[in-house]
Amino acid sequence: MDIRQFFQPKLTANSGAKPKLPKSNSISVNDDSKKKKKSSSKDESSPKAEKPSAKRKKRAVIDSDSEEEKPRKKAQKAPKEPEKSHKPAALVKKDPVHYVSETDSDSDTFESLKKPSKPRENGLSSLKAVGRGKGKPPAVKSPPKPSSAPGKARVKSPVTPTTPKSTPPQSKHTPVSVLDYFGQSSIQRSEKKLVASTKRKAGHDDSQSDEAIAKQLQMDEDMELEKQLHEDEEFARTLAMLDEAPQPKKARRDSGEKPGSPSSPIKSGPSHTASSSHSQPNGKASDSQEAPGPSTKIARSPLKTSSKLALMKKREEEEGARKKDPPKATLIISPKKESPASSSSSRPATQAVTTPKVEKISPKKAESVSPEDSEKKRVNSQAYRNYLNREGPRALGSKEIPEGAENCLEGLTFVVTGVLECMERDEAKSLIERYGGKVTGNVSRKTSYLVLGRDSGASKTEKAQGFGTKILDEDGLLALIRSKPGKKSKYEIAAEAENKISKSRTPEPQRSRPKGSPQKPSPRGKGEGREARKGLSFSQRAASPSPSSSSEASLLWVDKYRPRALKGLIGQQGEQSCANKLLRWLQSWHRHHTGDKKPAARFGKFGGKDDGSGFKAALLSGPPGVGKTTTAALVCEEVGYSYVEMNASCTRSKNSLKVVVAESLNNTSIKNFYAGASQTVSSKHVLIMDEVDGMAGNEDRGGIQEMISLIKQTKIPIIFMCNDRNHQKIRSLANYCFDLRFQRPRVEQIKGAMMSIAFKEGLKVPPPALNEIILASNQDIRQVLHNLSMWSATDKVMTYDQAKADAKNARKDMKMGPFDVCRKVFTSGEETAHMSLIDKSDLFFHDYSLAPLFVQENYLHVRPAAAGGNLKSHLVLLSKTADSICDGDLVDRQIRSRQTWSLLPTQAIYASVLPGELMRGYMNQFPTFPSWLGKFSSTGKHNRIIQELASHMSLRTHSSKQSVNLEYLPYLRSALLRPLESQGAEGAPQAVQFMDDYDLVREDVDNIMEISTWAGRPEPYSKLDPKVKAAFTRAYNKEAHLTPYSLQVVKKGKRGGAEPELGGEEGVQEAQEEEEEEEGVATDAMIKKKKAKVSKDIKQEKAVDSGKGKGKGKGKGKASAKK
Amino acid sequence: MSLWVDKYRPTSLGKLDYHKEQANQLKNLVQCGDFPHLLVYGPSGAGKKTRIMCLLRELYGPGVEKLRIEHQSITAPSKKKIEINSIASNYHLEVNASDAGNSDRVVIQELIKTVAQSQQIQWSSKRNRGDAGVSVDTVVLLTEVDRLTKDAQHALRRTMEKYMSTCRLILCCNSTSKVIGPIRSRCLAVRVPLPSTEEVCSVLNSVCRKEGLLLPGELAKRIAEKSGRNLRKALLMCEACRVQQYPFSAEQDIPDTDWEVYLKETANAIVSQQSPQRLLEVRARLYELLTHCIPPEIIIKGLVAELLSNCDGHLKAEVAQAAAHYEHRLQLGNKAIYHLEAFVAKFMAVYKKFMEDGLDAMMF
Repeated sequence: MDIRQFFQPKLTANSGAKPKLPKSNSISVNDDSKKKKKSSSKDESSPKAEKPSAKRKKRAVIDSDSEEEKPRKKAQKAPKEPEKSHKPAALVKKDPVHYVSETDSDSDTFESLKKPSKPRENGLSSLKAVGRGKGKPPAVKSPPKPSSAPGKARVKSPVTPTTPKSTPPQSKHTPVSVLDYFGQSSIQRSEKKLVASTKRKAGHDDSQSDEAIAKQLQMDEDMELEKQLHEDEEFARTLAMLDEAPQPKKARRDSGEKPGSPSSPIKSGPSHTASSSHSQPNGKASDSQEAPGPSTKIARSPLKTSSKLALMKKREEEEGARKKDPPKATLIISPKKESPASSSSSRPATQAVTTPKVEKISPKKAESVSPEDSEKKRVNSQAYRNYLNREGPRALGSKEIPEGAENCLEGLTFVVTGVLECMERDEAKSLIERYGGKVTGNVSRKTSYLVLGRDSGASKTEKAQGFGTKILDEDGLLALIRSKPGKKSKYEIAAEAENKISKSRTPEPQRSRPKGSPQKPSPRGKGEGREARKGLSFSQRAASPSPSSSSEASLLWVDKYRPRALKGLIGQQGEQSCANKLLRWLQSWHRHHTGDKKPAARFGKFGGKDDGSGFKAALLSGPPGVGKTTTAALVCEEVGYSYVEMNASCTRSKNSLKVVVAESLNNTSIKNFYAGASQTVSSKHVLIMDEVDGMAGNEDRGGIQEMISLIKQTKIPIIFMCNDRNHQKIRSLANYCFDLRFQRPRVEQIKGAMMSIAFKEGLKVPPPALNEIILASNQDIRQVLHNLSMWSATDKVMTYDQAKADAKNARKDMKMGPFDVCRKVFTSGEETAHMSLIDKSDLFFHDYSLAPLFVQENYLHVRPAAAGGNLKSHLVLLSKTADSICDGDLVDRQIRSRQTWSLLPTQAIYASVLPGELMRGYMNQFPTFPSWLGKFSSTGKHNRIIQELASHMSLRTHSSKQSVNLEYLPYLRSALLRPLESQGAEGAPQAVQFMDDYDLVREDVDNIMEISTWAGRPEPYSKLDPKVKAAFTRAYNKEAHLTPYSLQVVKKGKRGGAEPELGGEEGVQEAQEEEEEEEGVATDAMIKKKKAKVSKDIKQEKAVDSGKGKGKGKGKGKASAKK
Repeated sequence: MSLWVDKYRPTSLGKLDYHKEQANQLKNLVQCGDFPHLLVYGPSGAGKKTRIMCLLRELYGPGVEKLRIEHQSITAPSKKKIEINSIASNYHLEVNASDAGNSDRVVIQELIKTVAQSQQIQWSSKRNRGDAGVSVDTVVLLTEVDRLTKDAQHALRRTMEKYMSTCRLILCCNSTSKVIGPIRSRCLAVRVPLPSTEEVCSVLNSVCRKEGLLLPGELAKRIAEKSGRNLRKALLMCEACRVQQYPFSAEQDIPDTDWEVYLKETANAIVSQQSPQRLLEVRARLYELLTHCIPPEIIIKGLVAELLSNCDGHLKAEVAQAAAHYEHRLQLGNKAIYHLEAFVAKFMAVYKKFMEDGLDAMMF
């Protein structure tokens, strides 16, 4: 994935190419060229040294960026200079500067130097051929190019070689633009593509070793990924850029002109281009490894990057572009020349260079935009507001959707913008996909058509104009489908090609065949490499079954196509993949654990080490259907271990494990026995415990513990497998295991393998359909296979529609979180537009206890589309929604109180579907978590507090909880605070006295304060002077307070100082005595009685007379007695 | 130094300030030594509890005023432990079974039954001693009967009959509408109506006299009206007025309680603007009220009272009807906030429509 990977091949390519370059230079020798030669000669020596250092390369690229600005300035100057004749002079002037800057940057400069040198040379050579034909423009431009944009040129020039044949897409764009804008040029990209393609083909023609191709493919793939990333960034930026209308337009013109130049190279160098473009058919016929499909796709991906580059350059350079153009044109030709010579490996390298370019350039764009930002923002925000309010299709279904020929849109890329009149956008998308077209989100150079609807975004339209993309309206699209002739799918073609090969080739070549074949079917440039890899792996898989195919005819596909070698595993090919880790672990196991008797030293759960050498067991975890079991088995095979597998079908209780496993592990393998190799215990065993999370119930009791103890004393490696690593049962086990987590393979990874299986089975599945199927099964390889095999039973040919429908049926139920549910309930849009009533009510059942709460919490945040911005109707809708939610609550009550769970669907309608229907619209924030839960619990808390207060005061107030809350509390609070507020610390005794009268304890006071404060209102108690509060607390603590109720044990602590002796039975006795002394017999009798009654709480329970004087007297008396 | 309400609470039937006729009847009822089960009902603040305590005193003498709070824990058949507080004297037991929430049935079944049964012997022995010549062994006072679940009320039916010989039940509630028929028919219903404004005024006056204060008749009347003839509230208000300003003046401002102020502000917020954002704010305020344990019925009542004062004639009817509608559903539903919010949303929609239509009409 690293850029480094790409660099190496590139370097080699350069080195290879250089020898040729000097020659070309010699033809068109300028003063400059000599200088360059010097530099190039340096380069030649340097590349080898530099190869290993990928970092340097990066730096070099960066350097080039920094240099770019200078060249730009120069470029601007350049136009003024006289034309052809001045070239050399200009070059001379600029070159020196260029070099200086490069020299500053150490050894890295070599690289950078190299690149610029190449293009120049190429350009010169091409100038002869092409420049003459064109006349002035190329000549004029050529000089500035090397000088003006050394950085860019350097960067770009490498690009040019990389881009594969963009022929199909390009051809569409180019013809139009060329004619219109012939004179001007910013052709670089298109040419680059051409060159790249030629190179590639050349590589193929050379029929390099399979590994090389595979590598290459992978690299391609990686690059595509990178590019995609960049694209996204670009996307954002381009949005911003759209606002700068004037500049982009100019740039577009330039871009339009560019195509002109590519055309010229094609003309001039027919041999190369022709070979490249025509080689496809040839390739098929002759080699059959090459298919047209891949080439086109590949071509597109580079286009993206190049287009971005182009945009940026255009904006920056506007005028300077003209001068640069010719060099580019020249470039085009030269790379072609190079390409055949240079191995295919050179391509990746160049691509690698291109990608960095993109990154660097993009920031520049952003900068350039900044000045005009404010205006744009305003415009954008307005547009966005419009977007929010825009209506859906007006005449849904009014037009007849034509039946087009199969695959008639293949190879075309569409962008849909705005609202189409007669169909929803996703309908349009699936329509296009059904006919083999591709729908992307953003307009790029690759885009073949822009389908324009009502209220479309200005940015896309402008961009499309800039790219010269054809713009269609809805009718145009339909007409296109109607009129376009059908094609044979490239996948079919590829499959056929593969078929031929397989027939013609012997088993050994079979290996190589898959590589070629996957390339072709790959629908997208991105996925290509991966698929190729997979195809590779798959071929091996497939290869082995083929001989014995007759016997396996009855097998399930899953078994039939089970990978037979490690390389056949899907998604486990990386160096750091689980399979490889496991392999390494297993290989080194005996070294670590058996030979020496001190494994304990290495034992440790440090986990920091990657290779798991400290562990005697491995734990493979991951979702079902990703190949855990297969991996384990294959790894064992690979290492040459025999394995014993136990799964959930075996009893795995502690005892049985001991007996079966322990014995079998200590056995001598019978194989060895026969071989006479050893009489000792074989170490070549592995125990595979599958489905450990399935150990449950009485049968398997103690199984996990037994296994852990097994791990501790095992002499052989053990591999455990489970699905949920975080399961309670597994956690203890996981501590002793080398943890390997399997991830779901990516769609592309699965798709490649599936395509070839489908082909082997004679099943025709269009790739987009396969995508659907894979996604529907949630990337579960096993399930995909099952589904495929099931569908193949009915029909061998699958259409897109059919597959989509089937995939929908087979779609695994996905669990959605309540937030997603809530969002889906309310938002209008493509995903919700086609939901049936059942689908909608199913949303409710994702979590029927939380869903209504979420709906109720969030319906106010929705801006309903039906209201159309009218506040009045919005309020009416709100009211209706609230009513419906109330109905839902009533149903809920019935359900909960009477256990009538059959009413749940009714509640679903009321609490979720109806609100969703009424309020459907735009949600302007992320759904919030229902506050009801929090409020409910705080209500409960307050309720408890009030109940406690009411019961404490009940002897005085004789009133219910509710009236205490509503009527007493506010006045109680003020009565408590009054003396403190008015008299400060002096008032403390008075307040304490009041508390005693109402039998309140200190906590009650705090509770009263808490419960009688309201949001947004001052809390009088907190306003009190801290000193006063302290005095109050002190005054309270000074005395013992008798309460008529029992206090919780916790509270005793506070009163502890005053009456520690009340702690136990003795304490009660003492207290009793004290009171006996001071008080009458009545109280005494009461205390005794109480003690008898409530034996538990004797210590604290006190009886207090309701009479006014007695309680006080008692308290005082007691306090004084203690003193 | 307790609040006036509690300080001047009458303790005997003879000292009651109003409904004296009823007091006499009760006195006669008790005089004969026995009485049927009583169902005392009436609005809050009318003096039900006071009357019951007076009755008990009449029955058992001053010993009934020696109260204690007992903490009981009961284990339900489902092994659930229920904690409940009761107030007891030697002669009676006061329980609020609705404190136990949904398990109130267990409280009724276990606690009351055991009390009624177990005290039999003890008190029969006491009767033998001829104590005070009372024939009723013990009295169980159940408060807030209307908040008992139906299950608990049904559990009460049989208990009432079975232990008629040993104990009497006095049920106390605000409204009989939530007490099931069978129980009502087993009791002698005693309604304690709110005192009239004049009676409230006279009570206020007498209390102030005892406190040595001079209460202007005007203010007394205003307090009585503002308190809604709830005597407890009136006394508390009166004391608050005293704190606020003395000597009293007739035009004196009578302080509201915090929650009333808050509720009024909420109502004003609803009237002043109708928008989804405002509805959100109102929801927050409603939550605040609910978390302070203000009963939703009172919230809706308070809201309507405030809202109606801002409405025109025919809108008033509509709003009142909507309020009744939602208040009813409030009782049927689980989550009060839904219904309160629905009411507010309804009001906003209706009010907005009314205002805009009205404006349109004015324009043309």
